[in-house]
Amino acid sequence: MAWLTLPVVFKAFAKTSFYEFQAPISLTSSYVRDLQDFWAARTKSKNELYEAGQGLARLNAAYELTALENNTLKNEIARLENLLQLPSRPDYQYEIARVVERDFNAWWQRIVIRKGRDYGIPVGAPVVFVGGVVGRVSEVHAYTSVVDIISNNHLRLAVVIEGDNRPMSYRGGGAESFAKPVGIAEFIPVDIQIADRDNLPVLVTSGMGGVYPAGIRVGEIRRLNNGAGGMFFEGEVQLDERLASLTEVAVMIQIPPEQ
Amino acid sequence: MKAEEKMKYQGRLLLFYGMLALMIATLLGAVGYRQLIETDEFSERVKVQNHRRIVTPAPRGNIYDREGRLLVGNKPKFSAVVYLSDAGVRKAFRNEYRILVRDYRERNEDYKTGRLQKQARANVIQTYLDDVNRMLGREDKVDVEKVSTHLNYNPLLPFPIIDDLTREEFAVLLESLPVQSPVQVYVSNQRNYPYESTASHTLGYVSSTILTPDEGLPGEDLTTFAEKGTFGRSGVEKQFDDILQGEMGMEIWVVDPYGFQVESQERRYPTKGNDIQLSLDIDIQTAAEEAFKYFDKKENVEKENIGAAVMLDANTLEVLAMVSKPDYDLNDTTPFISNETYAKMKENSGLQNRAIQGVYPPGSPFKLLTSAAALKANTLTAETEHYCPGYYRFSSGAVQRCWKQSGHQEEILWEAIRDSCNVYFYLAGLDTGVDIISNEATYWGLNNRTGIDLPHETGSMLVPTKDWKRKRIGQGWYAGDDTNLAIGQGFTRLTPLQMAVFAASVGRNEIVTKPSILRLSPQQAAQRPPPKPTGLTPEQHQILVKGMVGSATMGSSYRIKVDGLSIAAKTGTAEVRKDGGKIELAWIVAFAPVEDPQVSLAVIIEGQVLNQNFFGGVHAAPIARAMLKAYVEKHPDALTPPPTASVALP
Repeated sequence: MAWLTLPVVFKAFAKTSFYEFQAPISLTSSYVRDLQDFWAARTKSKNELYEAGQGLARLNAAYELTALENNTLKNEIARLENLLQLPSRPDYQYEIARVVERDFNAWWQRIVIRKGRDYGIPVGAPVVFVGGVVGRVSEVHAYTSVVDIISNNHLRLAVVIEGDNRPMSYRGGGAESFAKPVGIAEFIPVDIQIADRDNLPVLVTSGMGGVYPAGIRVGEIRRLNNGAGGMFFEGEVQLDERLASLTEVAVMIQIPPEQ
Repeated sequence: MKAEEKMKYQGRLLLFYGMLALMIATLLGAVGYRQLIETDEFSERVKVQNHRRIVTPAPRGNIYDREGRLLVGNKPKFSAVVYLSDAGVRKAFRNEYRILVRDYRERNEDYKTGRLQKQARANVIQTYLDDVNRMLGREDKVDVEKVSTHLNYNPLLPFPIIDDLTREEFAVLLESLPVQSPVQVYVSNQRNYPYESTASHTLGYVSSTILTPDEGLPGEDLTTFAEKGTFGRSGVEKQFDDILQGEMGMEIWVVDPYGFQVESQERRYPTKGNDIQLSLDIDIQTAAEEAFKYFDKKENVEKENIGAAVMLDANTLEVLAMVSKPDYDLNDTTPFISNETYAKMKENSGLQNRAIQGVYPPGSPFKLLTSAAALKANTLTAETEHYCPGYYRFSSGAVQRCWKQSGHQEEILWEAIRDSCNVYFYLAGLDTGVDIISNEATYWGLNNRTGIDLPHETGSMLVPTKDWKRKRIGQGWYAGDDTNLAIGQGFTRLTPLQMAVFAASVGRNEIVTKPSILRLSPQQAAQRPPPKPTGLTPEQHQILVKGMVGSATMGSSYRIKVDGLSIAAKTGTAEVRKDGGKIELAWIVAFAPVEDPQVSLAVIIEGQVLNQNFFGGVHAAPIARAMLKAYVEKHPDALTPPPTASVALP
């Protein structure tokens, strides 16, 4: 009751400062975990480290090759876009951030990352990881940011099925306790079928909504049900299981065209 | 005394208690009766008062051609809508109303409550629309009256603020609108015609309206709000509306005292209508329609002939192509037909399906019917010879000319068919007479509708009789009427579809009558009405065929020629009176291959300029050729195999 009678300004201040005061604790625990990992690595034998180093060297070589190929393709795409006089696509700067907290329950499906206003993270920025879309930044604090992940039922994006250009809606489906996070795809055209369980239709971002660039993986449609209106299916979307154990993500910050 | 008084009071008290008990028992009985016996009735009343039903139409079924290609389907229609039952929206309505009232009071102006409420609601909706406009870079405005009408009649249905979102705008709103916002994207469906104007008259179009909810849909006794659905207005869409309509969906809502949604109680999704497969072959149809185009050198523009064309499978009478020009782009008819579009559709009777609704004098192709009648009546034989000096002089002295002014000289029947000699058929008509010719036409089914499974087939076809002329025109039958009838002129009126069916009957030498627009299964084809014999002997039939083959190879129909395909054809040029002059009509009917007919066709082109010559061989034959060419490209078995060279062995 006393809280209700307090002035709005005070309540807003208290709420904001709660995050800011809580943030150092989260950050500290995150750094402690990093330190733990570091010391855990120190316990490895030289041979193990040497083998791991060799493995990394091989991966690096492969990635360098892929990066070269990507550059060639990028240049080719740029040349074709110039030729066709297509409007330039938004460019993004990637801000890699460690995950300091994962908050998955019936109400929240979100993570806290170790970068905030100090790194120019904006509200609404898309967040991705190696497996595809993670979610969208919903709150930005001084040193941390809160990211709603794509199983959050308050998050919606425009998606397409890989190889198709018809936009449909994806929204988070929440998660039951101890269950895998899921999503719901709506307005799936009825000609989309699940014929092969090993080759499920893959949902990727459409690039039309203006937030996410095109082609980033969202998940696979694993079940189709009749949708509203009788003209579309509704689909249950299987998300990447690694979403539940994220340690590092990339925030995509759009670079204004004039820069 | 006291005891007596006490007894007296006790008696009264008992009476009082008794009455009280009776009253309580009555009350309890009534309550029990209402609660236990009438409980269902009261529950029902509460339900009717507190529940509303929203009925959603089902998407229509698809229409495919004979090879399974989609001719008519559905496509999503993206809209942005406001859910008026959202508590935030209703609060915003109230706040805006208060602000408007305060403003009026401050200005000391009179106001009308109803009008102010209307304005307040429109203002709030405009605020939401402004947000959407900002996201999309649009400048849409809300129609005050539309908001008011919607709130009065369909408060449970979402109000569309933008009805024509592109895919990109749809995607932008998906990512920009909060999930809990009262403004949401909404996807309904509308008809989609991937081939645009192709076969537009045959396929038909739909109109949107509030459909009567399906019988048996739960909540029949509830107040119902129905979203607009569509029904077939013409063509296949109308004919098979029952099949194409799906099963409606519905949702029953508990509503608050203001009539806005509180909780969904029951939901049933609509089920898409059944698909149908037509007999049309879109390749042949497209080829035919392309052939209707021509280049006007004077005006330096591409134009389209006006007329109709029909191609049938000669064995099953399935319609392979049905063209009627001018036509219209079916996509312009959905989601509704604008006044501008409707006016354009009506130009040159563009709404009419000329193939089944246009009645024309059949011209020279009718000479085949005259020949059949005369051969069966023995007024003509294969060897009957007539002399054509280029005209025929009646006993009254009047003259009726042949199309060839120098005359065809002596000709026998097959030559007269080949050359389309009018004088020969004047004489045949006079010898045979109207009664026999008219009866024969009726026997061949030319005086009746074909009964095709398409709506609005005309019943105005006519092969005249003496009786008809006396009753209709009030005149007797003259010799000139006989000669006109014999060459398919005068009062005779037939549809292009009838002529295509007639050509199939001639080709098969058996009378078939009922074409079908649906792709028939072998079982359905077997259930068709059995053909009737023509009554022509094979020899007599061969005379007609020989004349038609002659016309296609060396006569007026030679432009129909398709390499390797044996064709029997008959052209014609008919005339109709218009504005004190005459308009010529170019005809051709044909079947192929001659030996075992697989297809028959009829093409008619209407002349556009008064008194301008128009010939079947010049204007209709190239279209028939395009149709046959498209057919043989897909059915090379129809081609005659080239003769194999015989090599003498040593």
